[in-house]
Amino acid sequence: MKQIKFLIILLLGVFVSSCSDFLSPEPISAISTDNYYKNDIEIETGILNMYNGIQGLNSTDTDDNHAIQVEYLLTEVYCDNGKTKSSEGEQAQFEEFKVSPSNGYVSDYYGSFYNVIYRSNLVLENLGNASDANKASYEAEAKFVRGYAYFNLVRLFGDVPLVDKIIQPLDTETQFTRVAEDQIYELIISDLTTAVNGLGAGTYGRASKATAQAILAKVYLTLGEYTLAKELLVDAMASGYSLEPNFKDVFYNEGNKEVMFAIVYDGDTSNDSQNFSAEWQNAVGRSTGLNYVTDEAAAAMLAMGGNRTAYTYRVDPKNLNLNQVAKYIPNGDTALGIEPTSINPVLAGNDWIVLRYADVLLMYVEATMGTADATSDITAVNAFNLVRSRANMPTVNSITKQELLDERRVEFAFENQRFFDLKRFGVAQQVLSQYSADNGYGFTATDLLLPIPQLEIGLSKGVLKQNPGY
Amino acid sequence: MNNNFKYKKHISTSVLMVSIFMLSIFATSCEFDLPEANSIPDATPPSAAFSETIGADYLTYTFGNFSASATDYLWDFGDGSTSTEFEPEHAYTAQASDETEAGTTYTITLTVKDKLNVESSLSKDLVIKKPAKPIVPVPVIGEPGFEDLTLPDGTGDGRDSWRCSFGEIMQITSSPVTFGKQAAKFPSDGSRVAYQEVAVTKNADYVLTYWYTIKTTPVGSVTVSVLAGSIGSLAEAADATIISSTGNDQSDDSVYVQVDVPFNSGDNSIISLLITNEGAECRVDEFSIAVAE
Repeated sequence: MKQIKFLIILLLGVFVSSCSDFLSPEPISAISTDNYYKNDIEIETGILNMYNGIQGLNSTDTDDNHAIQVEYLLTEVYCDNGKTKSSEGEQAQFEEFKVSPSNGYVSDYYGSFYNVIYRSNLVLENLGNASDANKASYEAEAKFVRGYAYFNLVRLFGDVPLVDKIIQPLDTETQFTRVAEDQIYELIISDLTTAVNGLGAGTYGRASKATAQAILAKVYLTLGEYTLAKELLVDAMASGYSLEPNFKDVFYNEGNKEVMFAIVYDGDTSNDSQNFSAEWQNAVGRSTGLNYVTDEAAAAMLAMGGNRTAYTYRVDPKNLNLNQVAKYIPNGDTALGIEPTSINPVLAGNDWIVLRYADVLLMYVEATMGTADATSDITAVNAFNLVRSRANMPTVNSITKQELLDERRVEFAFENQRFFDLKRFGVAQQVLSQYSADNGYGFTATDLLLPIPQLEIGLSKGVLKQNPGY
Repeated sequence: MNNNFKYKKHISTSVLMVSIFMLSIFATSCEFDLPEANSIPDATPPSAAFSETIGADYLTYTFGNFSASATDYLWDFGDGSTSTEFEPEHAYTAQASDETEAGTTYTITLTVKDKLNVESSLSKDLVIKKPAKPIVPVPVIGEPGFEDLTLPDGTGDGRDSWRCSFGEIMQITSSPVTFGKQAAKFPSDGSRVAYQEVAVTKNADYVLTYWYTIKTTPVGSVTVSVLAGSIGSLAEAADATIISSTGNDQSDDSVYVQVDVPFNSGDNSIISLLITNEGAECRVDEFSIAVAE
C-alpha cells in the first residue's frame, strides 16, 4: 500500500512537471509555422512561396491548385478569343457561357488565389521578425502579390470574402462573408500603393516598382480614375523597359526588356514547369485542343495583326481546319524558328507573361483618352504608334476607343486580357451577346461574373451567397 | 333472344364496374388536391431584376436580366413596345424632348413569372438625352495683334504677353502691318523669340490663324509652333511640339501671308505658342484661335 502511494506521488510529479514543455516540444526534424519565418532568410522563402502559389502545380490531379495555369479558361475561352477543339467537358462550359457552379476549374482558380492570399498574409504576419533593413521591401512585395490576387478575384467573381490576415478554420464569418467590391478595391489600392512605395527595380520573375505602378494603373482604369492612372503610367514608362523589336522574341527570348512581370517556368522540372502549353496543342498534353483560336479572333488577327499574326496562332498540324495558339509552343516549330522549351512538352518551360511594356503603352493611351471617345493627344498617339510600328502596321494620327480595343485584342491575344478589356471598356455585354448569338452559345448578362464555387457555398453552411443567374 | 339479353346484361355490368372504378380514382385523387399538413410555401418566389447598358448610339439600350427563379419574362419599354425575350435590345425613337435639359423619361417594367403564375415586377426610369456637343470656349491670346495698351487692364507695350525666361523678346514694327498699327519683328540673326501659354479645352479641335511676311533676301523662314503644355527652355520645344508651321514665302516683303494651322489640344489644358525665325528678317501679326467646327 505504501508503495502504491509512493508510485502515485511519483507519477503525479511527472505529470505536473511535464506541463511546461515536455509535451509540446519544438519539432527539430520538421518545419512548422510556429518555429519558422524567424529571420530574413526564412521570410525570403515565404516570399518565393507566394510566387510559387501563382505558378500553380503542374499536375493532372483535380484536387491540386493549378492557379494561373488554368486562368485562360476563365478569361480567354470565356470570351470571343478562345474555344475548345472538342466542345466537351468542363472546359467547354466556358466556351458556351454555361459555367456551372460546380465547375472544377472555377473552384481550382478561386481556391488557388485564396491560397496565394494566405501565403502573402503569412509573410505579412511574420514581418516583425524581419530585419529593419528589409522589412519595408518584404511588406511591399507581399502586398503586391495580395493586391494582384484580389484584383483577379474581384474582376471575375464580384464581391468576394476579404481575408487580410491569417484566419483559423473556425472563422467561417471571414471565410465566407462576401464583401462589397468597393471595399475589396480599397484593399487592392492600399496594398498596391504600399508596393509602389516600397519596391525597387526587381527581376522580371518578381514584383518591381514599375510593375506595381502599372498594375495599380490598371486598377484605376477599371475604376475610371484616369488622371491617377496616367501619373503612374508616366512613371512606369520612365523605368527602363522598352518594346522588344521582334514580336516573336517577346515570347521566345525569356527575360527580354519588354517583360515586366512573368511567372517563370523551368522545363523538365516537375516542380516548376507548366502543362498548359501542351494542352493547347493537339494530342501533346493529357487534355488536348484547349484554348483554340475562334474564327472571330483569327479574322481580327488577319485584319489588324500585322506581323504579330504568325506568332499568335498557327494551323493545327493535325487538323488543318483549326488554329492553335503560337505564343507558348512547348515543343518547337521549325517553320517559325521556335526551339523547344523542354524535352518533355508536358513539363514545358514557357514563362507566363503577366505584364509587358506594350500594355503600359496602351494603358497610357487609355488613360489619356479618359471618358472621351477618341484622342489625338500627341503623346498618346506616339505611344500607340510604337506598338503599331513594331507590328508593321501603318501609324495613325488619332485613336478612337474602338481602335484602342481592337489594338489590345491583337497585341494581347491569348494573354488573358480580352475578357477584362471588354468589361473595362463597358462593351462586354454588347460584344459577347453578339458573339454568343452568332455561335449558338448561351451568354446572358449575369455571365459577366463567374459563379462562386459550389464547393465553397457547401462548406459555408449557407453563409456564402451565389451570384445571380446561377 | 335469350342469349342476346344475357349479353346486354353482361355489358351493363361491365359499364357499372368501370364507372365505379373510375369514380374511385377521381374520389381518391381529389384528396391530393387538398393542402396537406406538411405542404410548404415556395421559399424562392420569382424576383425581377435588370440592368440597362447604352449601346452604339444614345437611343439603343441592351438589357441584362438578373431575375431569379423565373421562367417567363415580359419587358415593357415605356414607349408602347414590349418584348418577351430574356435579354432584349431596344432602340427608342428620337423625340424632340431628347434635346431638352430634362430629356425624355421612359418607365421600363420587367414582369417575371414562374409556372405557378407567381409574379414579380420591377420598374425603373430611364432618361434618354441626346448627348450635347460639348461647348468649347474660344481660347484667349494676350496681345494677339502686338498693339500697345491691349492687356485687359489697358496697359502693355504689345509684347508683354509674349515674354519668356529662355529667350530675348522680339521687336515691334509699325510698318508694314496687316491690321492695327503694330506687328512683331524678328531680326535676321534669329536671336529673338516670342512665347505665350494659352488655356485651352482638352481634346478639342482648333484652328490657329496668323499672318507673316519675310524680307526677300537672304533666304529665311519663320516658324510658329503649338506646344503641349509649357516649356522651360528652347531645347524642350521639339518633344512638346503638337504641330509647327514654317513660312518661307519671300516673294514680297510688304505683303502678309495668312496661315491656318489646325490642331487638337490632346490631353492638355494649356498649350504654348512659340515663334522663332532664321536667316532673314520676319514680321508676324494678328494671331487668333478659333474652335474648329
